[in-house]
Amino acid sequence: MGSMLGDWPSFDPHNFSQLRPSDPLNPSKMTPVTYHPTHDRTIPPPNQVISSESKNIILRHLYQHADEKLRPKRAAFENLTPEQGCKHPRASASDMPPH
Amino acid sequence: MSIWNYVVTAHKPTNVTHSCVGNFTGPQELNLIIAKCTRIEIHLLTPQGLQPMLDVPIYGRIATLELFRPHGEAQDFLFIATERYKFCVLQWDAEAAEVITRAMGDVSDRIGRPTDNGQIGIIDPECRLIGLHLYDGLFKVIPFDNKGQLKEAFNIRLEELQVLDIKFLYSCPKPTIVVLYQDNKDARHVKTYEVALKDKDFVEGPWSQNNLDNGAALLIPVPPPLCGVLIIGEGTIVYCSASAFKAIPINPSITRAYGRVDADGSRYLLGDHAGLLHLLVITHEKEKVTGLKIELLGETSIASTISYLDNAFVYVGSSYGDSQLIKLNLQPDAKGSYVEVLERYVNLGPIVDFCVVDLERQGQGQVVTCSGAYKDGSLRIVRNGIGINEQASVELQGIKGMWSLRSATDDPFDTFLVVSFISETRILAMNLEDELEETEIEGFCSQVQTLFCHDAVYNQLVQVTSSSVRLVSSTTRELRNEWHAPSGYSVNVATANATQVLLATGGGHLVYLEIGDGYFRFHDLNLITKEHLGGEIIPRSVLLCAFEGISYLLCALGDGHLLNFLLNMNSGELTDRKKVSLGTQPITLRTFSSKNTTHVFAASDRPTVIYSSNKKLLYSNVNLKEVSHMCPFNSAAFPDSLAIAKEGELTIGTIDDIQKLHIRSIPLGEHARRICHQEQSRTFAISSMKYCQSNAEETEMHFIRLLDDQTFEFISTYPLDQYENGCSILSCSFSDDTNVYYCVGTAYVMPEENEPTKGRILVFIVEDGKLQLIAEKETKGAVYSLNAFNGKLLAAINQKIQLYKWMLRDDGTRELQSECGHHGHILALYVQTRGDFIVVGDLMKSFSLLIYKHEEGAIEERARDYNANWMSAVEILDDDIYLGAENNFNLFTVRKNSEGATDEERGRLEVVGEYHLGEFINRFRHGSLVMRLPDSDVGQIPTVIFGTVNGVIGVIASLPRDQYIFLEKLQANLRKVIKGVGGLSHEQWRSFYNEKKTVDAKNFLDGDLIESFLDLGRSRMEEISKAMSVPVEELMKRVEELTRLH
Repeated sequence: MGSMLGDWPSFDPHNFSQLRPSDPLNPSKMTPVTYHPTHDRTIPPPNQVISSESKNIILRHLYQHADEKLRPKRAAFENLTPEQGCKHPRASASDMPPH
Repeated sequence: MSIWNYVVTAHKPTNVTHSCVGNFTGPQELNLIIAKCTRIEIHLLTPQGLQPMLDVPIYGRIATLELFRPHGEAQDFLFIATERYKFCVLQWDAEAAEVITRAMGDVSDRIGRPTDNGQIGIIDPECRLIGLHLYDGLFKVIPFDNKGQLKEAFNIRLEELQVLDIKFLYSCPKPTIVVLYQDNKDARHVKTYEVALKDKDFVEGPWSQNNLDNGAALLIPVPPPLCGVLIIGEGTIVYCSASAFKAIPINPSITRAYGRVDADGSRYLLGDHAGLLHLLVITHEKEKVTGLKIELLGETSIASTISYLDNAFVYVGSSYGDSQLIKLNLQPDAKGSYVEVLERYVNLGPIVDFCVVDLERQGQGQVVTCSGAYKDGSLRIVRNGIGINEQASVELQGIKGMWSLRSATDDPFDTFLVVSFISETRILAMNLEDELEETEIEGFCSQVQTLFCHDAVYNQLVQVTSSSVRLVSSTTRELRNEWHAPSGYSVNVATANATQVLLATGGGHLVYLEIGDGYFRFHDLNLITKEHLGGEIIPRSVLLCAFEGISYLLCALGDGHLLNFLLNMNSGELTDRKKVSLGTQPITLRTFSSKNTTHVFAASDRPTVIYSSNKKLLYSNVNLKEVSHMCPFNSAAFPDSLAIAKEGELTIGTIDDIQKLHIRSIPLGEHARRICHQEQSRTFAISSMKYCQSNAEETEMHFIRLLDDQTFEFISTYPLDQYENGCSILSCSFSDDTNVYYCVGTAYVMPEENEPTKGRILVFIVEDGKLQLIAEKETKGAVYSLNAFNGKLLAAINQKIQLYKWMLRDDGTRELQSECGHHGHILALYVQTRGDFIVVGDLMKSFSLLIYKHEEGAIEERARDYNANWMSAVEILDDDIYLGAENNFNLFTVRKNSEGATDEERGRLEVVGEYHLGEFINRFRHGSLVMRLPDSDVGQIPTVIFGTVNGVIGVIASLPRDQYIFLEKLQANLRKVIKGVGGLSHEQWRSFYNEKKTVDAKNFLDGDLIESFLDLGRSRMEEISKAMSVPVEELMKRVEELTRLH
């Protein structure tokens, strides 16, 4: 037990070193000053007034999944080289074989 | 009373809900931050102990409180989220000594079911995001960017619907939460999720653990190097991480609070429901957890929060008892406890019931509360003003002045008490038997009135009479010198100190003398400052004094007003004139010391002590009716005493500690739930509940106890049956019977029943200090309320209101006989009556108004409020206006519409006032905490007192309409000047708010905001004065008067 109880952490060894315990029957009477701010910095910087994303969580989910569904198709499309598949107009008349 | 109500706190909340420790006010300063529902307190750890720094009102009920250190910051920031879905991040600006807002916002969702198990707010240890669990099935994320700025919040769907706790894990490459939840088969599990900030989604986490202790309810994340999480159950504690699982059994207990001791997370303090404090140790080797150990340290108040402070000192915050500062000792005391309680901080919460009584019979109400819960239950006697504890008194008529004198300059004690009358002066002194007897100072003139006396240097005494100033040796008591007023100029007023005498003579002359060794020396006087008082009232007493290092000039007028000025001791300049009304009669001012601090006693028809706290002058009533003179009398037999002249009597007594509210605690060791006072038997009756732990079996026992109203000792006890709970208690008498009885309403709370179906009404009489059961009546449900009603007994029993007659049987015994009743409530919980009218507060159907019809012997409904309010207390303000409190922490008033044109209109109670108090009220009582003087302004204002779960005692005062309108304007102006901490809005905070609606407060004013006007600096006061076109002095006087309501 002793080993478990010893060696209490200390941030500042002076803290509580001069504590004079009050009569345990008489509660401590500490009355801190009540704070009434009158300054303007109770309002945070304009970009730190935080709100929630307006998009509904289900809609966001649907959009995300919709994106995921679309992505492979678009990827396939983008990967297609012009030579593969699609028909293209012939670039110029000069490319045409002579008649 | 009226519909224009003023709500003010007489005793602030003391229920400690949260606490944390960190470097908030400076990198090298360690702070304890405490949340008391709607306030936070900032303390500094010092060699002398906890030093209170600031009490910060928050415009919201604090749901979560966390300190955190953003990247690159030298000190901690404070994160607060409120129950109404606002949050803010606060920082301490040490230079300006101000709390500034770094960020704030609204995290409410339009759709969503609020969580049942309370709101959770947590911060990722790496400061990547803030996580909130506010609605079932949703986890809200407020991300930080890499500069530590907060970004737009978003929701993530959380599959687990019954969440018990969520924490962040330490040292995870991606922010990771661990969720403790219950499934639909009531089994409990933990699961981990990584928060994918970019995808705004969860990714399955590194581990999970199924089928935990059925009572697991608390997670403790373990910091590096060990990491992982502790899961605290009711029978086991488990350590869990991706790589380890260790468990230990514990004695059955519900852990309410924990505090981490070591930064490496190897030791924790756990506080349980019975107030036992344990130390939990994670044993480890080479950063691998090898096991858990738990040891009982001792007992504290039942903890709601535990914070390890420094050097073995721990703060235990409590909701059910007093909070404590404790020390963990290395060696156990005689009882085997390692816990030493060093300080106790009063907590009145939860106030379950209270009564207002005049125990000292001085015409002043005292509140006696049922406070605390379980083993920490107690009665608290709360009294406003300063009491005088009489030590001796003697009848003496016509005292005109009193002074105490010493027999030598260096004598620590006073010997003589000089008492002056209209045509003589008498000298009293302590004799060898420590009795006050008349003596003589030969050098004094005793055939005339003394105007002033004082000890002087060189073992001399000074006596001033209308014709001369005498200098007398205090050792030989012989006259050494005398100065005679020139003929035709008699001395009217005089003052003196050890070396100086100042006299005012007829004709407007001032004479100034300096005291030497057996002689006087004359000096001229120069006028430094002249201040016009204005008005026609003559000043009667002036006093220079210093409080907390600030010099003041006090000037008391003949009409009971007091002016005070700040005095510049170098220039003599008088500034910051303030005027307060202390009474209606002339005031005499005197200083005295108590506990090495100087205070001023203002003797008048309303004696007052003037003192200073946090550099502000405060006025506290002295609990005496009228005092004409006072002087300190510090004799060896009566050290630190005051001599007080009042109503033909000279009293010597000691004075209470100088503070506004005095609270005396009567620990009961059980939970008092109802209280009632009986004037005739000078007793209190309480209904209480005691928990008994016998082997693992926990049982409840319920009692009706009788207490002496002076000693508060139990003098008689009536045990209730098994399962029988006391629900209501009343002292009353019946028609045709002169006895006074205690009536008790009970309910049999059976484990298998949803609502009680059986109860009793017990009628007791107090005989020879014992409770004697006279009659009992079985009821078909819980007797939630009892009222004396037209010489009969009115009971609220489940959904019914039932009236009982007190009948005499043939054999001379008495019984309760049912006369009539009224159905139609869900549960009739709170009942108040006035004449033949009955106001019922229902569980969920707001108010209804019933009337008793004598001829028909029937009770009928007259009107109701059709809103669905879940009531917690009701009171009748006047014939037409009823006050209610409901479970969303709102107050409201409804009005009877007797002039309505149609039955429909008359049958509807109109809501006329609405206000968000932010406190759960358990009881209203008519009465006042201050002595009511019929000729004072505030004496005319009717008040209702309320008590709340957080230990608040508040006052609701009904104002005349013009005063209300004036104060409403002042409140509107104050809102512009006094800003809400964290950017929270006062207007929003006070708006009536429930699940269905939010509407602006009306016909209620926030007295706490209005009275904070007195804390403002002069320039801010002037700003408001200008906006209102009312002089500062007038504003101060009117607000100061309001502070005298509580």
